[in-house]
Amino acid sequence: METARNFWSNVGAVAYKEASVLRHDKALIGMVLAQPIMMLLLFGFALSNKPANVPWAVLDRSQTALSRRFVEAIRTSGYFLPPHAVGSYGEGREQLKTGRALAFLVVPAGFRRDTERDGAHVQLLLDGSDPLSSARIEAYVGQIAAAFATRPDAPRIVSPASLPGALAVRQRFWFNPTLNDRTFFLTAMAGMLLTNLCLSAMALGLVGERETGTYEQTLALPITPIEIVLGKIIPYVGMSYVLLVVATVAPGLLFGLWPRGSWIVLLLVSLPFVLGSLSAGVFVSAVSHTSAQAVFIAVFFILPSFVLSGVLFPYEFMPDGVRQVGMVFPLRWYQIALRRIVQRGAGFTDVIGPTLALVALFGVFLLATRSRIRARLG
Amino acid sequence: MSWQRLRSLLRREVLATFRDPFTVTILIAVPLVALLMFGFVLATDVRHLPLGVHDADGSVVSRRLVAELAANQTFDARPYATRAGLDRALVSGEIAAALVLPPRFARARRGGTPDDPPEVQVLYDGGETALAGNAEGFMRAQLAAAVREWLAAGDGTDRAPPPTGVTVVSRALFNPRLDGKPFMVAGTFGFVLSFLTVLITAVTIVNERVTGTFEQLQVTPATGFEILLAKILPLGAMFAVDVVIMVVVAGVVLQVWPAGSIVFFVAVSAFYVLVSLALGLVVSATSATAAEAVQKSVLFSVPLVQLSGFAFPIRNMPLVVRWIAEAFPATHYIRVSRAIYIRAAGPTEVVSELALLGLFGVLLMAYALRSIETRA
Repeated sequence: METARNFWSNVGAVAYKEASVLRHDKALIGMVLAQPIMMLLLFGFALSNKPANVPWAVLDRSQTALSRRFVEAIRTSGYFLPPHAVGSYGEGREQLKTGRALAFLVVPAGFRRDTERDGAHVQLLLDGSDPLSSARIEAYVGQIAAAFATRPDAPRIVSPASLPGALAVRQRFWFNPTLNDRTFFLTAMAGMLLTNLCLSAMALGLVGERETGTYEQTLALPITPIEIVLGKIIPYVGMSYVLLVVATVAPGLLFGLWPRGSWIVLLLVSLPFVLGSLSAGVFVSAVSHTSAQAVFIAVFFILPSFVLSGVLFPYEFMPDGVRQVGMVFPLRWYQIALRRIVQRGAGFTDVIGPTLALVALFGVFLLATRSRIRARLG
Repeated sequence: MSWQRLRSLLRREVLATFRDPFTVTILIAVPLVALLMFGFVLATDVRHLPLGVHDADGSVVSRRLVAELAANQTFDARPYATRAGLDRALVSGEIAAALVLPPRFARARRGGTPDDPPEVQVLYDGGETALAGNAEGFMRAQLAAAVREWLAAGDGTDRAPPPTGVTVVSRALFNPRLDGKPFMVAGTFGFVLSFLTVLITAVTIVNERVTGTFEQLQVTPATGFEILLAKILPLGAMFAVDVVIMVVVAGVVLQVWPAGSIVFFVAVSAFYVLVSLALGLVVSATSATAAEAVQKSVLFSVPLVQLSGFAFPIRNMPLVVRWIAEAFPATHYIRVSRAIYIRAAGPTEVVSELALLGLFGVLLMAYALRSIETRA
C-alpha cells in the first residue's frame, strides 16, 4: 500500500516537472498549433486523387457532327481541359510521351457509319506513367461513351449507373456519398497529428536531458525508471487529448464532418493509442545517443507510419508482407478504429480488435524502453 | 581558387563523413527502405475484397451470378441471410462492398425488357475512397460481362438490345497493366534525394558550427567557394552512388528498370543532388542546433511528399496550390524522373524542366555561398 502511494507520488512529481518544462517550450507549442492548420488546408482543399484539369489530345478522323458531339460529351464531364486537336497519330503519341497529354482519343474515319451497323468504336490511349489517374479516366470515358446516344431515336439511357438492357444496377456509396478524398484524409487526420506530436515530443525527452545533464540529476533521485517514463508521459497525454478534440471539431466546423459514433468511444480508444505512441517516442529517445539522432529515428518511425498504416493510401491494396509490416505501427490500428467510429458510427464492440492491438503495442514499447533504461543505469 | 587547397578540404570532408557510422547507415538504409515501402503502397488492382452478398432470391440464376463474381478472385463473397446483417457488416468494416439480389430476381430477369430490367443493388464503403472507386469499376465490368454472357447464351431475352453507345477500346502506353510500382519508384528518387540531402548537409554543418570546427575552416586560407565545393562534392558523389544502388534494387527486387537511358538518368539525378545539397546549406544557415535543423527538414518533407506530385497529382489541386507546388525543385525533378524512367524521354523532351532546375541551383548556390562567407 505504502509502495503504491510512493509510486504515484513519484510519477506525479516527474509529471509536474515535465509539465512546467512543456509550458515554456515555445517551439513545441507552435508546432502543435501550426500542424492542424496545415493539415486541414492540405487535406481539406489541396489534395485529391480525383482527376481534374486533365490535358488530352483528340485525333478526329471522322470530322462529323456526331464525332464532335462525342468529344464535347467527354469534355463537359468536368474532368478535362479543352482538348488539343492533333493532325496525326504520331503527333498524339508524342503528346503522351512529353507529358503534355494524359489521354489521347482517336475517333476512326468510319465512326458515323459504324453507329448504323454493329456499333461504333473509339480508341483511347492513356499515359500509363500515372496509373491511378489513367485508370480513373479510362473508367470515366468508358461510362460516358456507353451512355452516349449515337442515334437520335435510340432510347437515351438516363441513369449512367444502369447497364444497357439486361440488368439495372442501383449503387450507393455509404458514409461518403460523393466519394471525395477529403473525407478519407480528414477522418484519419487526428491519428496523423497525434503520431507527430507524441513521437517528436518524446523522442527528445530523455536524450535532451542526457545532453544537458539534467538526466543524471533525475537518476540520482530515489525513483525507478518506470516512474520516470510514466511521469514524462502524463503531461503529453493531456496535450494529446486537446489536440484530438481540435482535430475532431475543426473538420466538423469547416466541412461538416462530425463523428457519427459516440465521443466517449472515440476518447476511450484514443487512450491506448496515445500511450503507445508516447512510449514509442520514449523508446526512440532511450536508444539514441544525440538529439539529432533521436529526431532522425523518430522521423523514420513517423514516415512509415503514415505510408503503411493506411491514412494516405488504403492498406488493403498493399501486397502481403508489406501489409503485415504496417501492423507494428499504432497508427494502423487507430486509423481503422477512427474510420469505423467517425464515418460509420460504429460502437465500442466494433472496435475491440483495434483497441486490444493498441494496448498490446503499448505494453511492448513500454517493456522495450524499460530494458534500455536499465542497461544505461548499470 | 587553388586545387591543392580544394583537395585537402575534400579529403577532410570524406574522412569526416565516413567516420560517423550513423550517417553511413542512413545513406544506405533510408533509400532502400523508402524504395521498398513506397514501391508497394500504390496499387490499382483489387484482390480478395470482402463482398457481402444478400441473396434474397436463392435461385439457380442468382447463385450463378454470385459464383461468377467470386470466380476471378477480385471479390471474396460472404453470404448474409438478412439485409440487416449485411448493413451491420458494412458498418463494422467486415466487408468493403455489398450486393443485394432482390427476391424474384430470376423471374424478373426472364421477363425483363430493356425498359424495365431486373435490378440489383450494390453498396460500397465510401469511407475507403480509393478502394470503393476501384471496386466499383471491377463490379461494373463483371456485371457487364455476366450480362453479355446471358445475352450470348440467349436464355430469357433472346432479342439483343439495339447497339447504342460507343465502345471504348483503351490501351495504356508505357505501362500497359497500369501497375503502380513504376510511378512510385520514379517518385521515390525525388523523395529520397530531396529529403536525405537536405537532412544530411544541414546536420553535418550545424554540428560543425556547434563544435566550433566550422569557424576553424573559415579562418583557413580557403575561400568560401572552396569550402562550399568541398562540402558538396563528396556528398554529391555519395548520393550518385545511392542513385545507382536504388536503380539496381528497384530493378532486381521490384522489377522496375528505367525505360530511358540509365546514364542520362544518373546524370540528371547527380545534377539534382547538387541543387538539393545547396538547399541543405540554406537550411543549415538558419538553424542553431542539429535538432532544429532536423526538425526543419522534417517540416519541409511534408510539402515535399504532398505537394510535389510524388503521391498526389498536381493537376488535381486548386490553382494557387499548383503555383506553390511549382516552386519546389523536387516537383520538377520528379517530373523529369518519371519521364525518363517510364516514358523513356530523352534530353530534348525534358529540357525545359532541366533549365528550371538549373535556375533553382544557381539561386540556391549563391545564397548558400553568402551564408558560408558571412556567418560564423
